[in-house]
Amino acid sequence: MPIEIPKDKWPGSIRTVTIGATSAEGGTRAKTVTVGGGTTMPYLHFEAPTPNKPAIAIEIKSRKPEDWSPLLAEVWGAAMADPAQWAKKAEEAGADLLVLALTVEDSPEDAVKAVKSVLGATGLPLIVWGPGQAEKDNELLVAVAEAAKGERLVLGICEDKNYRTIVATAMANGHLVQARAPMDVNLSKQLNILISDMGMPKDRILMDPTTGALGYGMEYGYSVMERLRLAALQGDAMTQFPMIVTPGFEAWKTKEAKVGEGIPEAWGDWKARAIHWETLTALALVESGADIVVLRHPESVKRVKDAIGELVVA
Amino acid sequence: MNHSLTFTHDEKQASVTVPTNTLLADAARLAGIDIGQPCGGQGRCGRCAVQVTEGQVRRRSTLRLSEADVAQGYALACQTVVEGDAAIYVPPQEKIERRLTTDRVVAEVTVPEDYEYPFSQTVRRVHLTLTPPSMDDQTDDWARLQTAFRLQRRFETVTCSLPLLRTIGSTLRAGDWNVTAIVEISRPSDHQTIRLIDLRPGHEDEYSPLWGAAIDIGTTTVTLWLVDLVTGQVKAQVAEYNGQIARGEDVISRIIYASKNGGADELRQRVLDTINELLERACKRVKLPQGKVTPDQIVKATIAGNTTMMHLFLGIPAASIRLSPFIPAVNHPPALTGREVGLNVNPEAAVDCLPGVASYVGADITAGVLSSGLDSAENVTLFLDVGTNGETVLGNRDWLVTCACSAGPAFEGAGVVNGMRATTGAIEEVWINSDTLEPTYRVIGGGKPKGICGSGLIALLSEAFLTGVIDKGGNVKLDAPSPRVREGAHGGEYVVAWGKETESGEDIVLTRVDIDNLLRAKAAIYAGFTVLAENVGIPLESVDKVLVGGSFGKYINVEKAVQIGLLPDMEWSRFEFLGNTSVKGAYLALLDWRKRERISEIAKRMTYIELSADNSFYEAFTSALFLPHTDLNKFPSVAEALEKSNS
Ligand code: FES
Repeated sequence: MPIEIPKDKWPGSIRTVTIGATSAEGGTRAKTVTVGGGTTMPYLHFEAPTPNKPAIAIEIKSRKPEDWSPLLAEVWGAAMADPAQWAKKAEEAGADLLVLALTVEDSPEDAVKAVKSVLGATGLPLIVWGPGQAEKDNELLVAVAEAAKGERLVLGICEDKNYRTIVATAMANGHLVQARAPMDVNLSKQLNILISDMGMPKDRILMDPTTGALGYGMEYGYSVMERLRLAALQGDAMTQFPMIVTPGFEAWKTKEAKVGEGIPEAWGDWKARAIHWETLTALALVESGADIVVLRHPESVKRVKDAIGELVVA
Repeated sequence: MNHSLTFTHDEKQASVTVPTNTLLADAARLAGIDIGQPCGGQGRCGRCAVQVTEGQVRRRSTLRLSEADVAQGYALACQTVVEGDAAIYVPPQEKIERRLTTDRVVAEVTVPEDYEYPFSQTVRRVHLTLTPPSMDDQTDDWARLQTAFRLQRRFETVTCSLPLLRTIGSTLRAGDWNVTAIVEISRPSDHQTIRLIDLRPGHEDEYSPLWGAAIDIGTTTVTLWLVDLVTGQVKAQVAEYNGQIARGEDVISRIIYASKNGGADELRQRVLDTINELLERACKRVKLPQGKVTPDQIVKATIAGNTTMMHLFLGIPAASIRLSPFIPAVNHPPALTGREVGLNVNPEAAVDCLPGVASYVGADITAGVLSSGLDSAENVTLFLDVGTNGETVLGNRDWLVTCACSAGPAFEGAGVVNGMRATTGAIEEVWINSDTLEPTYRVIGGGKPKGICGSGLIALLSEAFLTGVIDKGGNVKLDAPSPRVREGAHGGEYVVAWGKETESGEDIVLTRVDIDNLLRAKAAIYAGFTVLAENVGIPLESVDKVLVGGSFGKYINVEKAVQIGLLPDMEWSRFEFLGNTSVKGAYLALLDWRKRERISEIAKRMTYIELSADNSFYEAFTSALFLPHTDLNKFPSVAEALEKSNS
């Protein structure tokens, strides 16, 4: 007997957002990345296909990070000291796009130089993060936004206490913004309203609901993302933005991934564990509706990519 | 076409000739009359109302005026244009303010119509004339006094404290066996048992005042009314911040402080100091031909306050209030005396602590329900206390449900840099001109401003929001084109009054931190009543009346309170502002034992709902942590106002 699978029909959908601009579109990217567009809960293929695959971004930094795990230093090697080289290697590792994280030590000139060299080294679309201090973020991102006008970069990270300058410069120079709220549906929505109120076109906002690593609050982040997606499908315009999350950053903060010494033997092989940690965190978030996951280890990129392939084709 | 207009203002007349479609405000200026336009002529504030006594005008908007006003010719000068010859009366400001449909002012306290001394009152003055003792009549003084009570007043049983007993003999003799006794009827129902409070030599004038005090011990503000129990009239109203604030802003931090070594004694002493100081101050306010009033003449005090405040005041350990299952030591304190509690009233004075319901719904709310009349309302009514503990009661004469949430003291002016209580010098109303971002404010007492009180903060927050000084998240938009918007020590701030205008010479500002505190307070209150209503399945729209209590001022602009999302978006006519309902309830109970019994009944009838039982309060709270609310659909009138101010 054939069984009829009940299907949900939702009034709302996720907005489609394109990152990066080719020369025809006023930028210099070899390709662009389009995410979003979903009309159902994630990967319910019997209801509707997934219009755009989740994308994987690899995070690189403008200066060699001293506090990253030795496992990451080992795999990226000397390239970590040169953003252009690092970017190339990341592209080879299978990134769909890149995150370039600036540091507090960078001057606006340094930041512009780093961004230009990365744009020159690869054809991938680019997300640029400030170092995470309001004043410094604003100073660096304004310089970067102007220098890379028209590239449809994503500028981040906007938070409720510091978003106006970043949004204004993104609007003026044709870029996008990443809007981060601390794991709360209402707070995410509020920040999206504030940004839209400034006149930012709605197809140029990515929302970052913040997440935790496996074992460190990931399930909370998961349920917030799930609820944001449900609200979006129910027609709430201010939650219909594609989601970007940072499982790489979160996973590599954990003791399990970061530390190789002085831990119980039962934890097993350090490298295998660390990559599992990043991969599993990322995959869970993909399943809850993440549109872009930002990763750090090339092996994780490969595994997450394979898994996404299975999810979307299945 | 030109028209001639005649303006009457301040008993003077001025005429001008202007073309069709000239704004009345502009025409008035040509005639030499400056009609203030606090909101920048946007039709938002209603302060520019004038009365067209003759002739033809066209009103573009009458938003702030009632239909009756319009029928009487009232028009907004900034929204009305000339269409023919006309005569226009420009009324004085106070007169306009009283007409505005948005403003709710607390009614003056009046003695309840059914108050009848001595029948309603448990404390009375009794004149006795005793037969002097003699060799033939060897009865002792105390028995002699008891006999007089029995024979002359039919009081069968009289009790008396030892310190008072020690003074009886001398008082009887000093009055030559004529005395005035102040007694408390212990049980109003039987009238036979009394307690002696005071014995005074001679026969006092029967109509001279008998002093009582109604006291509300708020977490933030302590309020005291001095009352003549004979006439029932309130003779002085005073208030002061609770001295315990220095040891924590909310009840939880007070309880924690009290559980530290010596903490409970200190907190008790602090609130006693505050009340005793208020007693002095209230007594000084009263001028009588018979001479000065002193606190020791006060023979009855009725006290309302939340459960924690009551415990700390009485020196009863409060720790269990905070710990699951949240059981207070006492909800119905017994009858006490001034000496026992440590008030500087007459040591034998009757001290009546009103009953509460639970750890987080205290006597302030039972008293508030009584004075608001909620317990006899026919239709479903919402009673909100805009105070530190954000108590809410929903119900009518058949049922009452209640909840509480920690809102913080911001609306009482505490925890806000330039906040203050609603007394002389407080800015109680603010308008911001949407073009220039310049404010217009009104100060209580009319002098130089010292700070901003609750009603001023509500208005200021709303105006800053509507004129784009701050965004919906409460961030000060530092790119706003005005020197008043600037970076301060705590982030962005808005200067309400420059130092040269203020009492202290310092700028009066609203800072980012203040805004956060106000947002949290309003979000907690809004979340409290929405979740309560959801819990009982009553849609807010079906609430007939919203009664607002709070000690943040004599007045509230309900439109402003709706615009910041403190009150629900409904017709202004459904709101009523009652001021401090708790002290008012204490006052009613102080006067009339029947009202006092009603409070006990109310306490029994109320059902308490614990908001922290699930996630819904937190959810409602964060969504209300925005201006006016994350879901703008809940505030259609604000959406409309925003659209207007953006266009
Ligand atoms: S309403 Fe006319 S000036 Fe405000």
